[in-house]
Amino acid sequence: MFELFKQKAEAINAEVHKFSSKAEALEFIKDFIKQNTSTKLSKEVVWYESEFLEGVDKDALQKELPQIEFNINLNSASSAKIGINQVDFGIAETGSLVEISDEISKRLCSSLPEIHIAILPISKILPDMESVMKQINLKNIPYMTVISGPSRTADIERVLTIGVHGPERVVILCIDKFLGGIDG
Amino acid sequence: MVKEEIKKALSNANLSGALTRFSEAYAVSRRKAYEGLDFEEIREKIANIKSYVADHLPELIQLFIKSATENGAKVFYTKNPEEVRNYIIELAKKKNVKSIVKSKSMATEEIHLNKYLKEEGIEVNETDLGEWIIQLAGQRPSHMVLPAIHLTRYDVSEVFTKKVEPVQPDIAQMVKFARKHLRRKFLSADMGITGANIAVAETGTLVIFTNEGNARLTMALPKIHVAVVGVEKLVAKLEDIFPIIRALPRSATAQLITSYISFVSKPYTHIDGSQKEFHIILFDNKRTEVAKDPVFKQSLQCIRCASCLNVCPVFRLIGGHVFGKVYTGGIGTILTAWTEGLKASKDIHGLCIQCGNCVRVCPSKINIPELILEIRKRLAKEEGLDFKTKAIYYVVNNRKLFHTILKAASKLQKPFESKGFIRHLPFFLSELTQERSLPAIADIPFRERFKKIVQPKSERKAIFFAGCLIDFAYPEIGEALVKLLNSAGIEVLFPEEQTCCGAPARYSGVIDVAANNSKQNIEALTGLEADYVVSACPTCTVALKKQFIKDLKEQNYDEKIIKSAENLSEKVIDASELIHRLIKEGKIQFKKLLQIDFTYHDPCHLIRSLNIYQQPRESLTTAGLKLIEMFESDTCCGMGGSYSLKFPEISTKILRRKLENIQKTEAKLVCTDCPGCVMQIRGGVDKEGLQIEVKHSLEILAERII
Repeated sequence: MFELFKQKAEAINAEVHKFSSKAEALEFIKDFIKQNTSTKLSKEVVWYESEFLEGVDKDALQKELPQIEFNINLNSASSAKIGINQVDFGIAETGSLVEISDEISKRLCSSLPEIHIAILPISKILPDMESVMKQINLKNIPYMTVISGPSRTADIERVLTIGVHGPERVVILCIDKFLGGIDG
Repeated sequence: MVKEEIKKALSNANLSGALTRFSEAYAVSRRKAYEGLDFEEIREKIANIKSYVADHLPELIQLFIKSATENGAKVFYTKNPEEVRNYIIELAKKKNVKSIVKSKSMATEEIHLNKYLKEEGIEVNETDLGEWIIQLAGQRPSHMVLPAIHLTRYDVSEVFTKKVEPVQPDIAQMVKFARKHLRRKFLSADMGITGANIAVAETGTLVIFTNEGNARLTMALPKIHVAVVGVEKLVAKLEDIFPIIRALPRSATAQLITSYISFVSKPYTHIDGSQKEFHIILFDNKRTEVAKDPVFKQSLQCIRCASCLNVCPVFRLIGGHVFGKVYTGGIGTILTAWTEGLKASKDIHGLCIQCGNCVRVCPSKINIPELILEIRKRLAKEEGLDFKTKAIYYVVNNRKLFHTILKAASKLQKPFESKGFIRHLPFFLSELTQERSLPAIADIPFRERFKKIVQPKSERKAIFFAGCLIDFAYPEIGEALVKLLNSAGIEVLFPEEQTCCGAPARYSGVIDVAANNSKQNIEALTGLEADYVVSACPTCTVALKKQFIKDLKEQNYDEKIIKSAENLSEKVIDASELIHRLIKEGKIQFKKLLQIDFTYHDPCHLIRSLNIYQQPRESLTTAGLKLIEMFESDTCCGMGGSYSLKFPEISTKILRRKLENIQKTEAKLVCTDCPGCVMQIRGGVDKEGLQIEVKHSLEILAERII
């Protein structure tokens, strides 16, 4: 299932990385932030908290990377370059992410910044949209987005151009052993 | 007026160039997008889901209102466009809305919402890139899905430079430019307006597809979200969305999925802690009336993918500025007829050439040409016909007079005729021969020549229905058929009372005239014992097989003649199919002659109404010819019966593309199985002075039999 998901997601210009543990993924995120932000002075990263961060010393993380902002509002989200959140499902058929946002701040991390980093437990990759709908009760969900690759347009001369109003990069971090905290 | 607009559109090389390139690329990528899926199964499901909606519209409207209200949305249902506008304007005033961002919504275009909001002093910004360009340029969208397809990067840069600030004509740069400028609009807007692609009655959920991500921001950033949704977007149950989700991106833009599909069910707390307002305006504008119409209710099945525009040989030449108003192309003609009244479609329904290309790709199984024909019928009934048209149909309904006139014309045309062609006609008729020579009417029609053919007597008999073109312009095609059938041991009968199949009247919506032709022909063809009723013109074949019955039923003829039509229909076979069968059975055999290359043009009625395309190719290759397929062999040649007389300027543009595709094969012979296509393509070849032969397949086959 993961292989199909990866293949389909990459076909629509998403970037897919696989990690065996949360700790590995966290290292990747830290490196990614270092490489893709220009300064430690401004809050270039907004991070919507989720179970991924359970057991992580956020203060230490922010000390190491002061560009991370956990407090999400219109201002921080619209001025950030990178948005990080955990998504709820993956769809193998199309390489899509399913983001259920009870809180709007979760959604802003994937819609305003130029880069969206999506954390996805591998166990949450399902074959198709039908399987996802069986796991949820849509009526109770205020807002849900199926995200398939970066934002795109072909409105000028039909030339495919990536990154219009949404992110121009979607980086998916698939994590195998998701349960439990991150130790050391 | 429509003629002037056509002229303008045809001379706009950007428009037809862009649309044509797109339609060519689309055909290939759409096919690829559907690989591994059963398109027929998907569209059957969609048609069922949506026709259920049409049949249960009032209940589903009520169910949606109940579900969405339970979810906490404010739902307003109205039949009246004015009330939609007033609702939004009042809401905006109450909430002190100064600026609005919009994501693409056909429903709001249908009610010209932007204009009214602007009049109230409210700033409105379209946020879909194409729509924004169009809005800044002060134009109308030329395509439902690709609104700015008629503009080049240079045009866009000019619009941006003039209306916003200077930017280079570089596409990537201009996309970034739009992101930057519209981001400010998003962040400062007080209200966001969207449409919806699907509205689920059972859950009260709206489903919205976008690629750019503008709908997400439109919904998330302003404190008020208003969704304007036509009631035809309803589906009954959540599971109904799956086939639509699979088909819509594939059919619209040949994508497997769009970048974003948003599901909105209820309002939530806004980012600043305040309560978000969520309004859904369910909008009717005659849709419940359409649902009650036994013929037009089919049009409510439309999921607005615009694939019918992308494959339309007419649309790709003239685009949406001419062909349709808010909704464009064939489906647009139908929607215009309902939302703005039958008369509003008067100028544009004629643009449909009835080639049926859209029928094959419609993911909702809407028979657009048939619905357009229904518009013609109702208009003809409502408005009556002009004197000229009436006179023509009077003649066509009187076989003797009609045939006498045709014979007289064969004498009158002499001054204009040369080697079987009429190349120039004087005065108001000159347009007809501007780009295409017309065939001269034969000196001796087939009906006279037939009398002189000596046939071997046989038990097996076939009645030949010639149709006007073979009878009076190309009798040699009829002779070829007789020769082929005789060689297979079949004797041909030619009932002299047969007349025009009624197609010109039928495809103009004048069904009483068509039905009269049907009746005369049924009477002419039934008295005789025969195994087959064969025609070498697919339009006539379709008439004999399907349309006669339909016409008579529609015109309430008595049971007896309808029964005769049904009996006749069972024996009807197109010559291309019958000859192929006889070749397969070894009853027709060919000489060993030099192999020559040919290319094949598929007549619209043959491939799409009769599903015959392999058989004539096989017959010709069995006869020792080598097939070189041309690009878009199944795209209309532009003839379309009387279409080429009504819109010669469009017809000849379509023809020119056909000729280009033929030339690219380098074959010196084009075969086809329709005398209309022969006339059109041969006329074009003659006018351009090409060294290419255009033949009905039967003529080539008959030359080669033992």
